Amino acid sequence: MPTPTTTGFTRRDFLATGAKLGAAFIAAPYLARAASIGSGTDSLNIGLIGCGEEGRVLMNAALKIPNIRFRAVCDIWPYNRRYGERLLEKFGHDPKPFEDYREMLSAVPDLDAVIVATPDFVHAEHTNTSLKAGKHVYCEKLMSNTVEGARSMVRTARETGRLLQIGHQRRSNPRYIYARDRIVHGNRLLGRVTNAIAQWNRAVTEDLGFPAKQAIPEDVLQRYGYANMHEFRNWRWFKRYSGGVISDLGAHQIDVFNWMLGSNPTSVIAGGGRDYYPNHEWYDNVFVIYEYPTAEQVVRASYHVLTTTSAGGGYNEYFMGDEGALKMSENPKYTKLYREDRAPDWGEWVKQGLVVRPDSGEGALPPVKPWEKPLSHPPMMSKSVSSVVDVRETAELSAWDMPVTLDKAIHQPHLENFFDAIRGKAALNCPGETALASAATILRVNEAVAARKMLSFVPEDFTA
Amino acid sequence: MSRALFRHEAMATTFEIVVDGQAEPYARQAAAAAFRELDRLEGELSRFVESSDISRASRLESGGAVVIGEDALECLLIAAEMAQETGRAFDPAYGSERGPELADDAPAFTLDPAAHVLTARARRLRLDLGAVGKGYALDRLAGVLAEWGVDSACLNSGGSTALALGQPPSSSGWPVGMGEGEARLELSLCRAALSGSGLAVKGSHLLDPRTGRPAARALRAWASSPSAAVADALSTAFFVMTDTEVAAFCAAHPDTGAALARADRRLRLHGTLRTLGSGA
Repeated sequence: MPTPTTTGFTRRDFLATGAKLGAAFIAAPYLARAASIGSGTDSLNIGLIGCGEEGRVLMNAALKIPNIRFRAVCDIWPYNRRYGERLLEKFGHDPKPFEDYREMLSAVPDLDAVIVATPDFVHAEHTNTSLKAGKHVYCEKLMSNTVEGARSMVRTARETGRLLQIGHQRRSNPRYIYARDRIVHGNRLLGRVTNAIAQWNRAVTEDLGFPAKQAIPEDVLQRYGYANMHEFRNWRWFKRYSGGVISDLGAHQIDVFNWMLGSNPTSVIAGGGRDYYPNHEWYDNVFVIYEYPTAEQVVRASYHVLTTTSAGGGYNEYFMGDEGALKMSENPKYTKLYREDRAPDWGEWVKQGLVVRPDSGEGALPPVKPWEKPLSHPPMMSKSVSSVVDVRETAELSAWDMPVTLDKAIHQPHLENFFDAIRGKAALNCPGETALASAATILRVNEAVAARKMLSFVPEDFTA
Repeated sequence: MSRALFRHEAMATTFEIVVDGQAEPYARQAAAAAFRELDRLEGELSRFVESSDISRASRLESGGAVVIGEDALECLLIAAEMAQETGRAFDPAYGSERGPELADDAPAFTLDPAAHVLTARARRLRLDLGAVGKGYALDRLAGVLAEWGVDSACLNSGGSTALALGQPPSSSGWPVGMGEGEARLELSLCRAALSGSGLAVKGSHLLDPRTGRPAARALRAWASSPSAAVADALSTAFFVMTDTEVAAFCAAHPDTGAALARADRRLRLHGTLRTLGSGA
């Protein structure tokens, strides 16, 4: 057991407030060396390419995993790079900073793995070069802005024998795994799955700016493939860097279609357009219908992504069957299970602990916003003895919960899976081959929008 | 170059940023960057977000430990200092089940700053940064604005804590109101934070962590400090502390000010607020 001590703290002695209040070590009783978490052996050296918004999310998640050392950070923008350096230093890491990822790969030869969190159009280049340098790679989704780029990554991973994990992090989320393995497939609580619907409705966002003093010189930007600072900051909206919203937001959820249904689609039809933001290239809204062949029937799955309204409850993936329906989301507030009347009684599943009744048990989560607590539906049978039913709007299906809590940062389980795979303790949850199939599924949407007709897939579309 | 106001909902309230002396499009982008930081902080600090550090820590039993992020650590260190300094009149772990094995004056959790590890000491740890997290967020947003070269600005979280940065070009400070009716004071705030606690907006929500019973005070209390996180925590502490305790605290901490509403609605001022209030 660690014992409380006030000695040995070389840092934060002590904090802005301590100094201002005129007393150091005010919080001494709250300070104690902790028992070490993790063994200290088997440490992995990591280099990070891309310290922007996604890179920071991954850094923060990886810092919560034992025995991970960041040895290098790379970003062409000093403003981002310094953020990464400063954060890592606070955790006792000593990362070397680089502008060019090739210098990083040659100057820090003992990296075990590289995390790629750069814009999509350089994913293939950064991943392939890192793999060829003998590093395992965790690359953010979307794998690449082109299917050819994604295919090259699969081939390079194969040729080099290195591991390639793509950042579709829902595939490692314990709640998603539970839903797929225990609810949908294992015990078939939805019965026969017939349809799926998913959405991401996001409110209007401003184009990203940058601190005036932090602009990157134009020649540097152009050396790395960017037209100017505005496109560098808002690359997701421009065709040379990205596949647009269907690959930014849709990628997560369409990947879950493939994963949950266990197949790749045979066709896609889609509509979309740039109807709202005059200064963007990519569509601001897209509507899609896929057909998925499953063992029981063709499952029709629709998807839409909107970037002009958050109406309709944010983002979720909804799988529907003849005995029940499952609404999945990374946000537990949007995650629910519904039972159809014709389904066998779920009392037995409750007894077994597979599902819990609504808002019951210690696992029941508080709502995300206190004022959004769902209203409880009063029983339909009237309290009055003179009528048998109070007629009003149709009662909603009762909602059930899954007893699974994500007790980690959202991206942490997927990173842990990658690190475990490097150590030979796990198989990758989203290897390049699998993510290539998802990338092909997703990027074909933009082609269907442009063609204004239904497009078919052949099996070779999904393989390298 | 005009004054521009930007709003964003987070942490169950509305945050506002007023920027002066910048072209509006630039001010808008700077505010948007600050609000993105705010959303990120909510994901780290909110007990209503399942995977936040605070939620993870709040599932611990005695002896259990979790690695926490930089923001949770910084905010908990400030909270720990405030808890210690106010004799737990402010306590981020007030909802914990302490258990008989924990001494009365022992903290419900300990922190190892170098390792970023929080260890639970209470039998069941329950953390709530509701009375310090919004202030901490304001301090962080001020940091983002500083990176953008935005110096002249005033921020607030739902009206309960205001943080004034550099003064507007045409004035010596930001006008910030406090109190009601004849007793209302308008302070001119510059590089300082003011936070208020009371029952009018949210009803009876303040328990005295030292006794577990509702606070005796019924009228509002305000605290001022250079740090919004400290002001936020202290306004909660001052609400449950006696007038004498508040006066003693301000006397011992020269950067701190307090204002306590009296039954006749007049304000009793202490510390830095005495100077600020009399100059108003």
